[in-house]
Amino acid sequence: MTATRTPLATDAQHLVKRYKTKTAVDGISLQVPAGQTFGILGSNGAGKTTTVEMIAGLRRPTQGHVRILGLDPFADRAKVRQVLGVQLQQATLHDALTVRELVDLYRSFYPKPLDADQALTMVELQEKAKTKFSNLSGGQMQRLSIALALIGQPEVVILDELTTGLDPKARRRVWSTIESLEDQTVILISHAMDEVERLCDRVALIDAGKIIAQGTPDQLKAQAGVPTLEDAFVELTGKDLHDDQEED
Amino acid sequence: MTTTTTTIQARRPGAAAWLRMIQAEAKMITRDTSGMIVPLGLPVLLLVMQGMMFDDLHQEVGPGVTVLDVYALPVVITLVLAMVAMMNFPSFLATYRKTHILRRLAVTPASPVMVLVAQIVVSFIQVLLGMAIAFGIALIFFDANLPTDVPMAVMVLLASSVAMYALGIMVASVAPTPNAAIAIGIVVFFGTAALGGMFGPVENLPDTLAEIGAWLPFGAAVEAFQSTWLGETVAWQNWTSLAATTLIGTGVAAALFRWE
Repeated sequence: MTATRTPLATDAQHLVKRYKTKTAVDGISLQVPAGQTFGILGSNGAGKTTTVEMIAGLRRPTQGHVRILGLDPFADRAKVRQVLGVQLQQATLHDALTVRELVDLYRSFYPKPLDADQALTMVELQEKAKTKFSNLSGGQMQRLSIALALIGQPEVVILDELTTGLDPKARRRVWSTIESLEDQTVILISHAMDEVERLCDRVALIDAGKIIAQGTPDQLKAQAGVPTLEDAFVELTGKDLHDDQEED
Repeated sequence: MTTTTTTIQARRPGAAAWLRMIQAEAKMITRDTSGMIVPLGLPVLLLVMQGMMFDDLHQEVGPGVTVLDVYALPVVITLVLAMVAMMNFPSFLATYRKTHILRRLAVTPASPVMVLVAQIVVSFIQVLLGMAIAFGIALIFFDANLPTDVPMAVMVLLASSVAMYALGIMVASVAPTPNAAIAIGIVVFFGTAALGGMFGPVENLPDTLAEIGAWLPFGAAVEAFQSTWLGETVAWQNWTSLAATTLIGTGVAAALFRWE
């Protein structure tokens, strides 16, 4: 397969999402080549989640279009769901089921799923296989959620607020899992600077529904003339990353 | 990366996935035992209540058919079906929407329709179990008789079930929250059930109200079941009412249903 014949893992063009009284996303374009880990960084309410929901085919853009490996997430839904794995912020699972039962349920949706034990080992939950979802800790729920996003061996994975609410040890475990994904394209939505800097090949900084800057973490730091990504964010957006606004 | 668009197959989850989904729903129900009180316990309670309402339960109203068979059992069966389908089932579905389980499934190859079907299957199994328990008690302790026309009674049960679950999906589609689903379900349930004979024989209602009640699905189901016990032909009005309910319920649901 030559590079010219391979479609972009994700190609979002001029995405706009307008609600009655506000514009949540205002002309965002992203191109993510296959195999890259791409970060979408922004403060709460910047439009990250809306953007990613449009990419995942959960929300129709008011304008613009999305292609996942050349496919339209709405028109080609059945195909896209085979190649796209999504970990959602604020999604729960059948809480009376055990970890293993949930893994088996989600495995059954895909033609070539990961082995159940392999999936649990990957997120270090093999000891919790017989524990009900409702009895897991926040970090364990998050790790299961990541395993389920990866269970169908997707080529593109969207991970929304990967480590929010996790303790430092759990965060590092999750990061190791993501770093072990060599073949997959990962789109990571985050407002954690260290996470993005460690995991992402390229980063888009989003503010008020627009992309403020895009590049490798080093390029963004150089562009802003500052030593850290956090400083670059503050410099380029004029905002603190931890502004406590309502997420859209 | 070796994938091109042409090699990606549009696959839908197969029988194994449907089975897993139904198992998942069944486990969600059986592991929360309080959720089974309504479908399994209520029929027995209703049977006893109906039994207490008539003082001439064993008087024959036809050859081998008693007051219990014609006036109590059809109401008990229809009540169980209506309560579970219109109140119990929509509240589960609304809870799944609120907790974003449906949304999580929407990003997998499993369509959320699978959840809907799995919930109806599990819910309906409970209805059948509840009816079986109530019927067993009625046969043993109340000397009840089976319907004269059993195959037709099964047909009526299926048609009534489809109609009641269609109303249930309609309730789930218009209800924004689980509490709203219960509230709307109660209104729809009592509206149709009161006019359909839940609180006593329809003959006690004013003629106009009785006429309206007979056209609503609850009354239509009760009348249709009564016909099968008496061995009479089920009236076309009853079939029409159940079919119209199904069409209206699914039509409203198709237009208004939201997965999140």
